Amino acid sequence: MTSMSSERKSALRRELETIVGVGGVLSDPEELLVYESDGLTLFRALADFVVFPRSADDVAAVVKLANRERVPFVARGAGTGLSGGCLPAEGGLVLSLMRMNRVLEVDYDNHIAVVEPGLVNLHLSWAVGPRGYYYAPDPSSQQACTIGGNIANNSGGPHTLKYGVTVNHVLGLEVVMPDGEIVWLGGRTRDALGYDLTGLFVGSEGTFGIATKIVVRIMRKPQAVKTVLAVFDRVEHASAAVSAIIARGLVPAAVEMIDQLTIEAVEDAFGCGYPRDAAAALLIELDGLAVGMEAQAERIVAACRDSGAREVRTAADEAERQLLWKGRKSAFGAYGRVSPAYMVMDGVIPRTRLPYVLGRVNEIVAAHGLRVGNVFHAGDGNLHPNILYDPRKPGEEARVVEAGAAIMKVCAEVGGSISGEHGIGLEKSDFMPFIFSAADLAFMQKVKVAFNPTGLCNPGKVFPTKKSCVEAGPVAYRPHAIEAQGLAQRF
Amino acid sequence: MRTGPTPSKRRASRSASSGERLSLVPAPLLDKLRAVVGGGHVLSGVELSPYVVDGRTPEAAVFPATVDEVAAVVSLAAEAGLPLVPWGGGTAAAVGVPPTRAGLVLGLSRLRAIVEHEPGDLTVTAQAGVILSELQAALNARGQWLSLDPPDADRATLGGVLAANASGPRRHLYGTARDLLIGVTVVTADGSVVRGGGRVVKNVAGYDLPKLFIGSYGTLGVIVEATLKLRPRPDDERLVAVRFERLKDAGTAVRAILASDLIPNAVDLVDAVAARAVGIDAAPAALLIGFDGLREQIDWQIAELGSVVRPYGGQAPTAVPAGVWTGLARAAQAAFETPAAVMTLSVLPSLVADTMEQGANSARQRGLGTAWCAHAGVGLVTGAVRAEGQRQDPAMLATVLAEWRAAARAGGGHASIRWAPLAVKTALPVWDDAGPAGRIMQRIKAEVDPQNILNPGRFAAGI
Repeated sequence: MTSMSSERKSALRRELETIVGVGGVLSDPEELLVYESDGLTLFRALADFVVFPRSADDVAAVVKLANRERVPFVARGAGTGLSGGCLPAEGGLVLSLMRMNRVLEVDYDNHIAVVEPGLVNLHLSWAVGPRGYYYAPDPSSQQACTIGGNIANNSGGPHTLKYGVTVNHVLGLEVVMPDGEIVWLGGRTRDALGYDLTGLFVGSEGTFGIATKIVVRIMRKPQAVKTVLAVFDRVEHASAAVSAIIARGLVPAAVEMIDQLTIEAVEDAFGCGYPRDAAAALLIELDGLAVGMEAQAERIVAACRDSGAREVRTAADEAERQLLWKGRKSAFGAYGRVSPAYMVMDGVIPRTRLPYVLGRVNEIVAAHGLRVGNVFHAGDGNLHPNILYDPRKPGEEARVVEAGAAIMKVCAEVGGSISGEHGIGLEKSDFMPFIFSAADLAFMQKVKVAFNPTGLCNPGKVFPTKKSCVEAGPVAYRPHAIEAQGLAQRF
Repeated sequence: MRTGPTPSKRRASRSASSGERLSLVPAPLLDKLRAVVGGGHVLSGVELSPYVVDGRTPEAAVFPATVDEVAAVVSLAAEAGLPLVPWGGGTAAAVGVPPTRAGLVLGLSRLRAIVEHEPGDLTVTAQAGVILSELQAALNARGQWLSLDPPDADRATLGGVLAANASGPRRHLYGTARDLLIGVTVVTADGSVVRGGGRVVKNVAGYDLPKLFIGSYGTLGVIVEATLKLRPRPDDERLVAVRFERLKDAGTAVRAILASDLIPNAVDLVDAVAARAVGIDAAPAALLIGFDGLREQIDWQIAELGSVVRPYGGQAPTAVPAGVWTGLARAAQAAFETPAAVMTLSVLPSLVADTMEQGANSARQRGLGTAWCAHAGVGLVTGAVRAEGQRQDPAMLATVLAEWRAAARAGGGHASIRWAPLAVKTALPVWDDAGPAGRIMQRIKAEVDPQNILNPGRFAAGI
């Protein structure tokens, strides 16, 4: 929290209330506590105010006020992020966009929808579903996370293997710039004029401004879907199968891997039909035309068998398919069965390095005296090692953080990245030099300055920096209610 | 299809022979450039004729062989305050505002290595100067392809395709460079080597610099290397034509196709004139629709396509030779031996046919013939004005193009001149108005190229 005198604080509160209404401002420390973290509870930072704008004009007015007062500000969606990206690292204002949650327009002829940033991801698919459409990016927190938050982090999900991540589905943005000006980037047509500012803005983690309207593409639901479960006695064989599928000229909609520890937790918790004694399982989904679906599934089955799968089966009906996906999507809630706490890692590697890197991950975690469960987007090479630990044991959390950094180094060494979908935020800003040179970072800084010259818009993120007002300490991960029920998960 | 010289080539030779406005790089700088790249790789004088743009002859052309050499050349130019024009295959060199000073052409043709292709990763890393068709041939040999099919693939370089954000008919299903480029290495205006993105298919670490460089026409940095996502080659692919009695009906049929279960990889719309240019007899309009995948999937889709388009007056789909594919993106330009002007209009897919009709009418009212083609499913329309046998009146041409632009803007789109004579480009802004976003673009340019030496003055928003 910034050191703000109580007189100045009351004056600011009154001014904020004239913008967003009396019910639209929080400044009580107890109320502010709710907003001190995101899904990564390792970091906490308290805002001076949380405000709830209802329109772009509200956002612009709040941002202009923050500029006049030289107070930092940051936008926040559902707070499901996993890198501390929406924390008020230097105090100041949090703009919660949860009251801006409307679908403003759907143009079915042109397959586009215009939405507000606080709209929950899945609610868009619900809105267009009756007409046979859906919104493709499907982060596993899609029952809770907002499209504005997805914009900030360029969120992915299981089905991004075939359909791409958030940026591939965003055509235009109305943005409140860090100085309060309202500007449209891109629009409704496919090709932008000039630089692709929309593409640049997506994934900028809230440091370029605040999106207040979002033009997204919606897609036709596929005619047919087929889900295959391949069971392996060795993790290396499951890894090899991922490349074998691709080598046979197939791009499934999703290829997810679940390891033994995770399978056991899921079966204990939910009983989804995964064999407990398997070293690893691949959940593979094909979608598209009904014609040819069988032939493609046969190729998948053959690729898995040739790679050493002990069993390959196809979901017999929609109920079995849903059950298999529930196992995949509720893995995080299930870890509670085997460990008091865990920390999720997010790294990306070239697909062909999966066998090597998974082996290294296990070695690193074991060397730190810890256990790891893996459940991840294997088709994209996007790893999510989940390091299990007990926060009550002194020093264990510090070892988790150390092991995490070592895993990120391995990802970097094999030509990968330190984040596939969770973002850099506060968590990984000091890891940026693992994959970017000083010149790379200096160039990114110049781009940031072009958008955000004062630095008041979401300071302290993305770039290596001192974590000023942020506290990091032993606060165990607490599953959200919908995670505990196996309805959603954190990646 | 007609294979006459492209407008840029034709202009180049004409202007070079007149030998106008030659300025020269000072001899000491030329010596330094030769020291960097070797004497044989610095061109001057008449050797520069292929690099003339809008009547301006560059002061020299230099061809470095390595990224370090590119950086050294950029540093030397920056020191001398000499404008730099990054140059790949030159296929889009004529696009943009006429340069005020031609400066130094920085040719990337010697950086043409395929650095890494790991089929199991479905990615490729290649240097900017690799010719697109050569890259595709190498990938094809291993069962994969880069799903970008811009025109002139046998001359266009990878770096140039990215810098110009060039695309072709298959973008309907596979998207454009923004959906495929995952990493980029550039030499920036201060001579440093900057990398954005990476080599993995999913990556949110740091700002998405690859997006910034796509379509930036060399104004922010010199692309020297790129990493892209690949796709497996489909088992089979076919292109069919559906003829219509009215252009408007074809437009309505596009909407029906997009709302159906079909998954075409291309949905192109051509008028009669553009159809003839790609060797198809269709009046007044035809849709050219592509499908790929398993043979049985293609068979089913072509049959289904017939039933989808029939209610809108579409005739039964007929097979089209595979050779037609490569002509689709330039069907309108190729319709005329010498187009008087070419414009690209970005509109909503539902407005494509209306835009084409309005555009043709506005030209016809002034006695001008036109040709039209569109990647209709994604709303990218190209219109070309006939020049042969018609009086060249720059003012009238500019008026017609301004009306086309107004039509695009009325539907929330935009339109920019792709090619036109100098007089027309002077009468009408080449690029559409970028609006308030243009100021952000200018700020980015000012931050990363404060001396304004990278392709200055040729881009949108006055950049």
